[in-house]
This record gives sequence, C-alpha cells and structure tokens, in this order.
Amino acid sequence: MAGMDKKNIHFVVNGDPVSALVGPEWTLLRALRDGVGLTGTKEGCGAGECGACTVLVDGTAVNSCLFPALEAEGRSVTTVEGLTQADGNLHPLQKAFIEYGAVQCGFCTPGALMSSKALLDQNPDPSAHQIKVALAGNLCRCTGYTQIVEAVQAAAAEMNGTAAAAVGNGSGAAASGAGATGAASDTALAGVTGAVDQPSHASTSGEVTA
Amino acid sequence: MAGFEYVRPTTLEGAVAELSMRGDTAVAVAGATDLWVNIRSGKMKPEAVVSLRGIAGLDVLTPERADGGGLTIGAMTPHGKVEDSAWTAAHFPALQQGCAGLGSRQVRNVGTVGGNICNAAPCADSATALMLFDATLVIQGPGGLRELPLGEFFVGPGMTRLLKGELLKEIRVPDPGANTFSRYIKHTRRRGVELAMMSVGVRLTLEDDMTTVKAARISLGVCAPTPTCADRAQDMLVGKPLTREAVEAAALVAAEDSQVRDSWRGKAWYRREMIRVLVPRAVEQSGAYVAAGLAPALDDAGSAASSGASAPGAPTPDDPGASSGATEGGA
Repeated sequence: MAGMDKKNIHFVVNGDPVSALVGPEWTLLRALRDGVGLTGTKEGCGAGECGACTVLVDGTAVNSCLFPALEAEGRSVTTVEGLTQADGNLHPLQKAFIEYGAVQCGFCTPGALMSSKALLDQNPDPSAHQIKVALAGNLCRCTGYTQIVEAVQAAAAEMNGTAAAAVGNGSGAAASGAGATGAASDTALAGVTGAVDQPSHASTSGEVTA
Repeated sequence: MAGFEYVRPTTLEGAVAELSMRGDTAVAVAGATDLWVNIRSGKMKPEAVVSLRGIAGLDVLTPERADGGGLTIGAMTPHGKVEDSAWTAAHFPALQQGCAGLGSRQVRNVGTVGGNICNAAPCADSATALMLFDATLVIQGPGGLRELPLGEFFVGPGMTRLLKGELLKEIRVPDPGANTFSRYIKHTRRRGVELAMMSVGVRLTLEDDMTTVKAARISLGVCAPTPTCADRAQDMLVGKPLTREAVEAAALVAAEDSQVRDSWRGKAWYRREMIRVLVPRAVEQSGAYVAAGLAPALDDAGSAASSGASAPGAPTPDDPGASSGATEGGA
C-alpha cells in the first residue's frame, strides 16, 4: 500500500483553518463530512448530476462529490454552515428559501443555496433566466423550482436593498419565466450566450478578462 | 473503491515522466468530472492517478489581440472560463456557446477543455466547436512538443492519437479572419445538464464582398464515432455566394454523409434529419445571412426570425442569448 496512505490536508473551511486525514480516493465531500464533521453538505447521486453536494472552492461552485480531497490542500471552502452570519442570523438566501417555500424535503437545499451564493457573489442582480442557468445543476424533486427562483430573486433584492420592489416582482418575474417568455428563456439553457455577465475566475496578466 | 496512489506533479514534464514510467497502470486526471465518476463506480481501477491540477500555467485563455486574432487555450482551462469570456463570445461565438452548454455550472467550473478533448467522447462539446476553427493541439511527450490538427486527433469513442506518456498542453486556434460568423447548437432532450443527442456547429468566413464564402466549416457531434467535420458539405459552399438554397443543399449532403446510429438518446433517422434542419438554422443564427444582405427568415408567425446579433428578434430584456436559441429543440 505504499503511496496509498492517508495524508493530512490543511485547508480553510468557512473561514477557519482545518486539517483532515484523507485517503487518495477521498472526495472533498467525504473530507467535509467525515474528516471535518460538517454534515450540512449532502451526497445525492455521487456522480456530479444532482448538485446536492455543491460547495464553494475559492468562491467557485463545485460538486464536492467529484472533487478529490487532496486537491483541497491550501484552498478555501465554503459550505452551507458558512452561510450563517457572524451574529447567528440566517443568510438572506436562507431566509428567502424558507419564506418562499423553496425548501420542502430539504435534501437539495444546501447545494441549491451554495449555487445561489456563487451566482449572487458573481452577479448581484441576476435575471430569472440567469438563476435557472446557475442552478441547472441542482436537482430538486419537491419544489418544481419556481419557488427556488423566486427565493433567489428575493434574496438578491434584499441584499441589494431593493426588497420592496422585489416582493412585488418576485412571483411576477418567475411567472413570466415559465409563461409568456418561457420558450426563449428555457431553451437558451442549452447553448446560451451571455448567460452570465461577470467573470468568475480571477484573471492574470495576458488572460481574457471578459 | 480500491486504493490508488495519488501523484501530483508540478510541471508538465514531470507529469509526462510519471505517466511514461507507470504505463497502463496510471491515468492522468484533469478536472476529474468524468474520471472520478468512473473511479468511484469501480469502472476504472488505476494503480495511480496523476493529477494535472498542480501544474502551473495551463489554466489560461490568451487572445492574440484585444480586438481579435487567434486564441490559445491552456489544456487545464475550465469551460466556465471560456463561457464567461466576453472576448471569446465576440470572436469565437460557437466556442463560447459550446463551452457554456456543457454540464452544469459546477461541472464547467472544474471540467477542463483539455479533458473534454482527451476524453474523446463523440458528444464532446468543446471539441466539436473547436473543430470549426481549425484548432491545433500542442502535445507534450517524453521527447518534447509536437503539434497535431484537432481534426486528426480522434480515432474513436474514447480513443485518440495521444501516445503513451503524452499530455495535451494547449489548444491553438488561428485567426479565422474578418467577416467570420459561427454558431454551435447542442440538441438535447432537456435543456440543462445533458449530453448532446447530437450537435451542429457552423463557421462561415466571407470575402470582403460580404457575399462569397471564403471558408466554411460544418462540425457534427454524435453523428459519427468521433466529432467530425462534414467535409463534402462544407466544400460545396466555398467560393460561391452565400444563399439559403446553397446552405440547405450542403445540409442535405452533411446529413447523407453522416455516420449516425441508433442509441437510447436518439434514433439514427432523427439525428440525420436534425443535421438537415440544424445546419441552416445555425447559419441563420450565426448572423451570416443578414451580414450577406439576405433578408431574415420568416418564422411560422410571419415575423422575422431571430438571426444572431444583427437581428435579435424579441429577446426578453434580461435574456440576451435567448432569441438565438429560441427555436432550438422546437422542431
């Protein structure tokens, strides 16, 4: 078993430096749940299809079930546990998910929240279409998604200080996404142009800065 | 899952040395979005995994010039980086569309363009889009670098001309020249997180008269054992004025020449029919017809159909990309 021994990895989870003893076959998901003891992140399919295990690695949404744990060395990981504010209050996304009924059985919720967080960090005022693109990799078998889209819009409005407008527009915008303009909005998910307006990757010299 | 050794070289040469030394017992892994699934399911049982993530300088998207020209893509560049690149969207729209339509955002954030090419799936979106632009692969081997046109790289599903120990370093996309229009349409049964049932890319470069076709490429995904170009069809267009009739005739030839087959995702006859339908649609949506002075196509409702950036149709205000894909999958 030479070379197959476990290794200690050091990384930052929700702002705190942690270490975990992981095997070469361990995923970040397992390191978080079994190594660090944070069980908020869920395993659904284990194959990168459902998004229940979504966490942020250096601010970017990834499926932790397909992220080799050893690659977390030196990285900063944010899980659903890290959404709660320093004062103990829920994140606006969490509050909106509850308020809009975007949580039913709850299993997909941590992943949906983290994909939503990655989106809002990159694009503070996303359209319903942009929310659908960002959350296309988060399967929910309960809500039918409409409530999730509404919740993300409401949270964005809350965070942008335009909450009053959002309450009025929240369901309207979501309804139009599924109705009159639905064909256009939905179809573009497959080969979309300009779906996400802001770059998510830090650019270095000579690179495209979008 | 059986144990394996996890090797993390920090140079490309180091990775090549590890792979050369270990032979068939080792696999190279980039973003891991495909390979890790196979390892977790037990389908692959490598003795060693050589991670390419520690190698610096391969996650780059380098345009030749701010206002155009060619593009160099490092093999470890994630699809999301291409998706988010406004420069790529402006100068290589089909490439940006191919990368933006792959998997989910979570997959695109880690799945790499190099991995998509080397995995050699018949449905590889980035590879099918890159074939439109005559991309060249720069390959690092034990003896140094070599170059190979992307069009010669694929041998069959999962099979490439990469030799033992070789790794893809970067993809070079030459300047397609002025008056270039492109579009990639991924045809799927659902609109997100789906492998292509089939896909069609087109790229047209017009002469300065904005009428004569200088260069034409029609690439097809899942219409043969590998991503392919419809050589006979695209050659039919070159040197002649761009017309809808010419494109429809070429689309028919592309459909006839394809090697489509039945699979659970779609039947051969349907894939063949979709080539005939989607090649003209892709040209329409590339904006080439309008640029060539042809009237926009009329849709069933009698109004001008969407046609790329020049005739945006009626996109929703918050969805600039919607119009160009509005009829995709409709048929």
